[in-house]
Amino acid sequence: MTPWPFDTVLIANRGEIALRILRSVQAQGLRAVVVHHALDRLSPAVAQADQAIELRGNSPVAAYLDGDAILDAALASGAGAIHPGYGFLSENAAFARKVQAAGIRFIGPTPEAINLMGDKVRARAFVAQAGFPVAPSAIEDDDPSSFSERALQVGFPLLIKPAAGGGGKGMRIVRQSEQLAGEIERARSEAQRYFGDARLYVERYIENPRHIEVQVLGDDTGQVVHLFERECSVQRRFQKIVEESPSPALDAATRDRICSVAAGIARRAGYRNAGTVEFIFGQGEFYFLEMNTRLQVEHPVTEQITGIDLVREQLRIAAGEPLGYTQDDVRVSGHAIEYRIYAEDPARGYTPTTGPVLSLRVPGGEGIRVDLGIVQGQDISAAFDPMLAKLIVSGRDRQQALERADAALAQFVLLGCRTNIDFLRRLSRHPVFVAGDIHTGFLDAHPEVAADVSPSPATLRRLLGAAALQTRPLRDAAEAIPALHAAIGGWRN
Amino acid sequence: MRHAFEIDATPHEVWLGRESGEYILHLDNERLPVSLSLDDQGHGSLRIDGETVPITLARRGDDCFIHLDGSTWQLRYRDPLERASALAHGSHDDDIRAPMPGTTISVRVAPGDAVLKGATLLVMESMKLETAIIAPRDAVVVSVRVAVGQAFERDALLVEFDERPAAQPTATPT
Repeated sequence: MTPWPFDTVLIANRGEIALRILRSVQAQGLRAVVVHHALDRLSPAVAQADQAIELRGNSPVAAYLDGDAILDAALASGAGAIHPGYGFLSENAAFARKVQAAGIRFIGPTPEAINLMGDKVRARAFVAQAGFPVAPSAIEDDDPSSFSERALQVGFPLLIKPAAGGGGKGMRIVRQSEQLAGEIERARSEAQRYFGDARLYVERYIENPRHIEVQVLGDDTGQVVHLFERECSVQRRFQKIVEESPSPALDAATRDRICSVAAGIARRAGYRNAGTVEFIFGQGEFYFLEMNTRLQVEHPVTEQITGIDLVREQLRIAAGEPLGYTQDDVRVSGHAIEYRIYAEDPARGYTPTTGPVLSLRVPGGEGIRVDLGIVQGQDISAAFDPMLAKLIVSGRDRQQALERADAALAQFVLLGCRTNIDFLRRLSRHPVFVAGDIHTGFLDAHPEVAADVSPSPATLRRLLGAAALQTRPLRDAAEAIPALHAAIGGWRN
Repeated sequence: MRHAFEIDATPHEVWLGRESGEYILHLDNERLPVSLSLDDQGHGSLRIDGETVPITLARRGDDCFIHLDGSTWQLRYRDPLERASALAHGSHDDDIRAPMPGTTISVRVAPGDAVLKGATLLVMESMKLETAIIAPRDAVVVSVRVAVGQAFERDALLVEFDERPAAQPTATPT
């Protein structure tokens, strides 16, 4: 192998992803420098780093967003490359540009690609112009006078969205043409009220859509390959919780089409490094949603079925190496599913929970991978994203992966802070999920999955017995009883 | 007087006794010999009514966290004296606690204020959403425990109310 043009990589992230990146960096014989906020001083990534540099910030999150401080840390530690992970600065084109200007390699796409895909409207227009499928739509701005007419041509059901909107606010579903005018009027008034901007656009609405995305890799020579799809349809609050590959929804021909389209979009964008093209899929059709210009949380499912270490590929590409293989060389085998372990309470609207990690034991064995960002003894705080770990299971097929997941979730012990582990196990056993018949509204349609479960009588006896023996006042009372027995002479209840 | 543990806010009464050198768990209509053996990490086994099962247990304050048969449970010990007092005075709604971790955005009441049921006491932010904390009953505010901008954990005490008036007026002692 050619020698690396850098010997030190700075990891500008935290939690499980900092540790996961660190492992691949060190496996290449490179030095790993980790920046961290004081709250993360005890984290496994900091413990295993060749060098750890503490960042200060007005808030813990602000520390990881302080591009200048991170760049200073990179220069001070002699880092020749920065890996931004996901979130934080990973899709910040200005940061990527500053890193390059300082003579350091940004492990990710070019600032131009980040900018292009970061603007959702521009990205959509780019993809449509290149001839790839986007949901039929009409944008008011293009020609306000013909908006209603163009909206009708989109077809029903359709979704009216505020142009300046976000977070689902002011969106309206219209199923019949006679409702269109009235709903446009109401959406306009809502958009004005929420966003101070009454401009709208409409888009074909897909009922019960599935979220399917495709992993791509591109190198400096312009070569792009896809690493097949991931299905991420199980979501809560618009965030993924379970991801898998292959998708149970795709037949071979559709898989081939969607993966080729993703690679085509990346090729057309001159995309370099790892990226993900997201689609909505329903009724046999798929449409471009957006492109994420970074490593994704759910990248391990792709690694498990392709055998490709995506972080290693990112490092090689950033070092200027060509991919060195073609699309035909990328093969998949088996099935992988990722479960995101969150500090949250599913029965209370998935609200974040906090607390100390009093006891931690992660499952292991064949087909079990755990990407972990916490250690026993640390406090889970509300300062950061509540994701604590990822369980990735793989098997020869989906059924074996599900069986391994069930056993692994049952063995996963994290005490002291409420987590969604029990919920994930109920979800994973749900007949609809087992049948692979999922869509992004699955959890809303099945609220029982998130509800608290009462202990069975046998379980309740065991819980109360164990808790009673571990509770001082109860034991003290028990110790006092024999004396009483003696006093009243062999009394029996 | 019985002890109790709450699981998801449902109380379960227990009593622990000791006979011939072993502990006996007393439930409503059952008496079960019980013993527990744990290593320093809290992993071990529970023997109850002749059956032995693996268990992991961790304690923190009044909370007992248990991993048993693939599920995790949280049991909160309720002191018998506090329970008796709570039943008598309804002290559960004297303390207004945080429904989730968050930050105070604004405080709408001050100590001494009389508030009506449904009044906004303060506004908090969590998960980028604002949530109003509402008075669950008519009350007089005794203290406000958080300031604007302050971060807090779930269950943190936010506002303290005066004691609920007793359900029946008590005779004035002479």
